[in-house]
Amino acid sequence: MSLYVLEGLRPWVIQRVSAVYIVLFIVYAVLCFFTAETIAYTSWKSWLYDPFNTTVVGIFVIALLFHVWIGMRDVILDYVHNIMLRIFILAMLVGILIGCGLWVFRILLLSVVG
Amino acid sequence: MSNSPMTNKRPVYLNLLKIRLPLTGVVSFAHRITGVILFLALPFAVYLLDLSIESQESFQSAQQILNQPVMLLLQVLLLWSITHHFFAGIRFLLIDAEIGVEKSQARLGAWLVLIAEILTLFAIVYGVGL
Repeated sequence: MSLYVLEGLRPWVIQRVSAVYIVLFIVYAVLCFFTAETIAYTSWKSWLYDPFNTTVVGIFVIALLFHVWIGMRDVILDYVHNIMLRIFILAMLVGILIGCGLWVFRILLLSVVG
Repeated sequence: MSNSPMTNKRPVYLNLLKIRLPLTGVVSFAHRITGVILFLALPFAVYLLDLSIESQESFQSAQQILNQPVMLLLQVLLLWSITHHFFAGIRFLLIDAEIGVEKSQARLGAWLVLIAEILTLFAIVYGVGL
């Protein structure tokens, strides 16, 4: 297998590996949700700011952003053929995804600060 | 020149309403649509996450936002999107692993995805009492 083939395969691999992690996380999150005794602010906050859950959610967000990037990139490449428009929309997409990621990490790290 | 795909007058029939897509094709296309829907919901989901964790008051305002009738409809759409994308995605992962590639198995897999997502939707709506 030449390096060129590996290059083309990389997005495909990222899409699948992130998908597996996302599936595992969703199963864990759903189990937590349905075994929770109450759905209230304090219990929700202590769940999210439990070190294990913060870590798992953080990895989930990274996996999700990579997954969304490749999925939306493929959709845009399929339907937007004008090169300048394509670059513009892809740049917007990257901006939105990085913005969402930073926002979630701010939320996750607030527990460390306060 | 006349043979290039851009210039020849060969009729192209792409009336989407007249194309009868097999179930496997519907599941595949719905996987793409639900993926885009979930992407569009992402910034709003992060906003709700922020509201839900900031304080007791903002947690309640997040609940109030989600309890509006329009939001309940949107939640059903998003729940369907997640469950479909989830099960159809697992099916595609299995197909990548060369499980369920053969035509009749692929068709069975598409039916299983459909049944699984309908059952899950009913279970969630019933369980949460939406």
